[in-house]
Amino acid sequence: MTNALDILTLRAGYGAINVLWDVSLSVETGKTTVIVGPNGAGKTTLLRAIMGLVPATAGDIRVDGQSRKAMKTWDRVADGVVMIPEGRMIFPDMTVEDNLMMGAFPPGCRRDWKRNKAMVMDMFPRLAERRGQIAGTLSGGEAQMLAIGRGLMEQPRVCLIDEPSLGLAPVVVDEIFRILARLRAEGLTILLVEQNTSRALKIADHVYLMQSGKVVLSERGDRVDLERLHALYFAHETAA
Amino acid sequence: MTKTLMNRIVLTAALAIAYVGVPLLLGGNAYVLGLIVAALTIAGVAVAWALLGNLGGMVSFGHAAFFGVGSYTSAVLAMKLGVPVFAAMLLGGVGAAVSSIAMLPALRLRGPYFALAILAYAHIFQILATEMTAVTGGAGGLLSIPRFPTLLGFEFGEKLGGYLIVLTIVVLAAFAYDAIRRSTWGLALKAMHDTEVATRVVGVPSTHLKAAMLVLSAFITGVVGAFNAHFISFLDPDYAFSSGWTVLPIAAAIFGGYRTVWGPVVGALAIYLVDQLLFKPILPHGHQMILGVLLCAMILFSPGGLMPALRRRPVKENRHAHA
Repeated sequence: MTNALDILTLRAGYGAINVLWDVSLSVETGKTTVIVGPNGAGKTTLLRAIMGLVPATAGDIRVDGQSRKAMKTWDRVADGVVMIPEGRMIFPDMTVEDNLMMGAFPPGCRRDWKRNKAMVMDMFPRLAERRGQIAGTLSGGEAQMLAIGRGLMEQPRVCLIDEPSLGLAPVVVDEIFRILARLRAEGLTILLVEQNTSRALKIADHVYLMQSGKVVLSERGDRVDLERLHALYFAHETAA
Repeated sequence: MTKTLMNRIVLTAALAIAYVGVPLLLGGNAYVLGLIVAALTIAGVAVAWALLGNLGGMVSFGHAAFFGVGSYTSAVLAMKLGVPVFAAMLLGGVGAAVSSIAMLPALRLRGPYFALAILAYAHIFQILATEMTAVTGGAGGLLSIPRFPTLLGFEFGEKLGGYLIVLTIVVLAAFAYDAIRRSTWGLALKAMHDTEVATRVVGVPSTHLKAAMLVLSAFITGVVGAFNAHFISFLDPDYAFSSGWTVLPIAAAIFGGYRTVWGPVVGALAIYLVDQLLFKPILPHGHQMILGVLLCAMILFSPGGLMPALRRRPVKENRHAHA
């Protein structure tokens, strides 16, 4: 069986500044793959490169075995590669419902948007209560739920989730991770970037550790030793 | 009474007055009717300009280029190739739309940089019209451009006919603008103003949408320019590409309310007619100064323009103020 997503010796960056140095990793279909790593390791850049928001200068990005390197961002979304971005990036001046409708923008998603909206509302009762509210007035946790809901409206085959716990209170983080666990149980293919390692490891089928634009550790989720991971995680930072 | 119902009644009444009332009342007054046609010509460009600004998020200083290209395309097609005038007018719009395609690289620029690039671009076309003497008649211009024909016994070449044509162009442009704004595309375009990256991430082809708005805005402006060419039956490069075709519509849109669909139309009628009928007789030279003062006053007292100011009175509760 082919992987949902394969990254092959990928290089990418911002103009003259290269960030990713020959990154290779795979995301298995129906599994949750977690990337951990300190700030500046290139985790977000990797997700942006997978979406085509940052150009890949070398290597390849394959979805179900087919190269997507030359595709426009919007075509990748229509193809089922969906990102729930860092900092949520919801549309602050629109209502919760319009935000969800925006998620269903790709023509293939518009047909089923009512059914998908009902599914999202069922998963996030808080959003259902606030469907007419302007999204900019939501709390951080609600905004993150909206960002996830919007992503699900896009009918993802692979869902890239960037630091969903960022800036949230511990109880809200618990709630977000319960949702992620549920999505995992439902068989969604997830690539999760997270700094909260202990939480992320609990839902990980596979873990990658990134540092300075490289993958330095790749291990099955149930074999990762948190102590050793943290030692690696911090060692490089103090050494550098 | 709900707000939408109220709006519909006002709109229907305004259209009834425009199509029936004005011809009955002013049909014989060629001078005033001529002024209204000129005001509607500005209104058409103002609607196109506001469409690009609100939906595309781009401020243009170059609409004179689309106006000029539209007018020359139509005039030349009608004069040299004998294309029927109404068809030529639409092709004038197509010509302007094609000319806007050359402008697409400027979409990479934002805000003031886009505005300046499109300003420079407008000059290129003015120079082309001046230099391509064989086709455009050069600086001497084109004389006796065919007027609108008589169809079904109605003389579209006369003032009243011209009024009905330009009115229809403006109304159709405003309806198209409104329809786009209400659609999913409109929602996506609105979302793009907040954060373009986020719209791409949800699968919106943002570059294509912006390009489509530029092409549509150019098309509308070109049709209006073409109308004007056949209505006044004369063109020269300085006139067809005059910066007035950029400045007056912008002033009209800002005065009337550039965030609303009908604001640019109301603004164009208000400033042009008030200027010509009221201020010009008082102050034959420099009457535009009063207009400038009025515009400043409007920006101070109601930055959103005339339409939002009028709306504020009857409807207190205004949940859709962002529209």
